[in-house]
Amino acid sequence: MFLTRSEYDRGVNTFSPEGRLFQVEYAIEAIKLGSTTVGIKTPEGVVLGVEKRVQSPLLEASSIEKIMEIDTHLGCAMSGLTADARTMIDHARVTAQNHAFTYDERIKVESVTQAVCDLALRFGESVHDEEAMMSRPFGVALLIAGIDEFGPQLYHTDPSGTFVRYEAKAIGSGSEAAQSELQDKWHKQMTLKEAQILTLRVLKQVMEEKLDQHNVQLAQVTPGKGFEILDEALLQAVIEEM
Amino acid sequence: MPDMHSLAQAQPQQQSFNPYTENGGTILAIAGADFSVIAGDTRQSEGYNIQTRYAPKVFRLTDKAVLAVNGFAADGNMFVKKVRQRLEWYRHAHAKDMPIRAIARLIQTMLYSRRFFPYYVYNILGGIEEDGTGAVYSFDPVGSYEREACRAAGAAQSLVQPFLDNQIYFKNQTPAPGTSFPRHLPLPTVLSLVIDSFTSATERHIEVGDGLEIYVVLSKNSPSIQGLRDVRGVTELTATEDGERVFVVRRELKKD
Repeated sequence: MFLTRSEYDRGVNTFSPEGRLFQVEYAIEAIKLGSTTVGIKTPEGVVLGVEKRVQSPLLEASSIEKIMEIDTHLGCAMSGLTADARTMIDHARVTAQNHAFTYDERIKVESVTQAVCDLALRFGESVHDEEAMMSRPFGVALLIAGIDEFGPQLYHTDPSGTFVRYEAKAIGSGSEAAQSELQDKWHKQMTLKEAQILTLRVLKQVMEEKLDQHNVQLAQVTPGKGFEILDEALLQAVIEEM
Repeated sequence: MPDMHSLAQAQPQQQSFNPYTENGGTILAIAGADFSVIAGDTRQSEGYNIQTRYAPKVFRLTDKAVLAVNGFAADGNMFVKKVRQRLEWYRHAHAKDMPIRAIARLIQTMLYSRRFFPYYVYNILGGIEEDGTGAVYSFDPVGSYEREACRAAGAAQSLVQPFLDNQIYFKNQTPAPGTSFPRHLPLPTVLSLVIDSFTSATERHIEVGDGLEIYVVLSKNSPSIQGLRDVRGVTELTATEDGERVFVVRRELKKD
């Protein structure tokens, strides 16, 4: 296997003779090492859920941040090298604010996803005449959840800069088991509550530790309240309903 | 050798650069409940000279937005060109026509970006809002803007605006006991007011005249279409009947 990859996995922007960019493919592999992240779309809104790996009893679980706000109507969950996501989310936030400033309207979910993906393939290239340049692809995948004139939507982006819309999607280390569970249990007319519970159930199945309000995080985007991360009390209530 | 004597006697001289001209003409727009009317005369002048009797000042931007531009014609034409370019980029980026509220904000940011070398133009944007209501947005040259029911701008603004204030907002009128004034006027009434405004402005202002272009934007399935039935020489500019519709009516104005 590695014989065919000889040398061509060195340069980030060099195609192999079979037409592959190995560094991008390795970046996609990096996501499979990340913690499991789930997103579910319903007619009432979108739910995002992440597993927080608490490696030490001395670690403060609340300091692990894997779900972030992009704008009041947009949220994002990540898996992989979460540090890389900061650059992408920063770009998404600036894009969303610029759109609101220039057009006096909320940016579409697809547009902000496209903006994030435009960044993904800019490695090996300097951005806006800056000296610093991105030396490698991002090692992170995002689930971007939001609401616009087309209703609730969920997008998945990966290091190749591709984005796809999903009804329900799992990424990260437990994604294969989680995705097939989602395929089994997801249906079109889910309520938000059902989606929250399904998210937790799917996470519970793929997590090694026992699931509690410290080692998972739930967030949602709804038409009424926009993006919100569920606090521990709310989260515990959902866990008890499971 | 320079002539030292004349140099010592030289007076200070001021050089000046005047990049702007005022090209006359007048524009106006009135919003109805489910339609918007945007009109302008077609005379373009400089001082006492008429440069052309047909220079349009009103431009269709999308199926639901029409922009009227008055002031320095060169700046106005360039500005419309730039707005249209931004609308096309927006369509490619977001796969939809820009809503009129977004166009209004875009025009503000475009005008204010030239705060210290402004486009010498007064803009009036008319069309249909996302909720189907008629809208008029008016701007000053550096981008201050407001949504209103009616607005006149240009050479004869001081003649036309008081007339509209009286006829549209019913200023200085008292309703008959037990009645109230309507919030919106029907399309035929609005068209009559527009035509009267321009014929009167043509009589009293030398920079107004030659031709009149009236754009009418109707919201989706608007019953106001009835008000256009009997209008002479009305031309539809939109291709389909299942969205917002744009019409233009042309009239002659006195040429003296």
